[in-house]
Amino acid sequence: MSDTRCSTPIEFAEIVDYWSGDLTEADEHRIDEHVFGCANCARELATVETMGRGIAAVAREGRFRGVITDSILNRLSADGLRIRMFTLDGPTVVPCAVWAGDDLVISRIRADFTDLDAVTIVSRQASGEEISRISDVAIRPGQREILNAFPADRLRKLPATRVQITVTGHVGSAERTLAEYTLEHGGSFDRSAGGSSTL
Amino acid sequence: MYRRFAPRVRLYGRKHLHDEAAAEDLAQQVLLLTIERLRAGEVRSPDEIGSFILGTSRVLADSTRRKARRRESLTAQFHVQQVYAEPLAETSDIEAVARCLHSLAERDRRVLVLTFYAEKTSPEIADELGVTGTVVRVARHRALERLRECVGGHAARKS
Repeated sequence: MSDTRCSTPIEFAEIVDYWSGDLTEADEHRIDEHVFGCANCARELATVETMGRGIAAVAREGRFRGVITDSILNRLSADGLRIRMFTLDGPTVVPCAVWAGDDLVISRIRADFTDLDAVTIVSRQASGEEISRISDVAIRPGQREILNAFPADRLRKLPATRVQITVTGHVGSAERTLAEYTLEHGGSFDRSAGGSSTL
Repeated sequence: MYRRFAPRVRLYGRKHLHDEAAAEDLAQQVLLLTIERLRAGEVRSPDEIGSFILGTSRVLADSTRRKARRRESLTAQFHVQQVYAEPLAETSDIEAVARCLHSLAERDRRVLVLTFYAEKTSPEIADELGVTGTVVRVARHRALERLRECVGGHAARKS
């Protein structure tokens, strides 16, 4: 076991599998031993670890935006993030707002995704300015809804406005508008300020 | 010796104990024990030091895990309120990670968050996303490489 020898460097992919718990116990032991004797591979492992901590920190601080799954939502709740959720399920205008203390705002987008390969979700202000765009969201068979997360801090900067969300479905190279939803964004509110104040 | 091995013991602890504070304690204990053995002349060859440190890390990590399991079982039995410290989000540049993470393809981003935040294994992620475990593993390491390049680029531009 010496830092001067690394005749069999571990592939980056295997280091990632090791850190993610996807190796057998025997392979984990092999990599443990290698890392203790190899400065280069120890550095690669440290990089994976640092990146992993960074990703976890982004999520834990409510700064992640994009599509999430139920298990990410469960973890965010378990970590004590204050989550405001709106369900979009049809042509009704959904009133919404962001409150002081909110960390994350999640839209639960329901539609008929049958036979689609993927969808694109675009949110726009009444002025037409794009707020967010998520392209190529893969759809799995039987999927009924998409959870779209947005950091509350970013929404606090948004004035009171009507928000249009368009979901476009893709099958191969063909695409079609699948659904449109409207949110009436009331602005940013603060209960502790003794009332409601909008930006 | 401390500079060379402390980060590796810490990494070992984070990997096997899933707890930053426990990993830090492990590094301290293992290296103190190693210094004692070196002073006592029980470890001599430089090649032996790495093996000794890894062996000690394994034994102490096992003991820590056993204690943690016992504590969890007592907590469940007596409904004792758990008190724990949230690990510090100490990373070189979370801002850059956030920016780079959002520049990745949607599925890659989800795979990374499921792995490193929700702590799911590839079969679990595969199940959630409706793809195979192999697809998840390939997507994960490629996405992490892209993230590393992007964050490295940010750091280079900053300096």
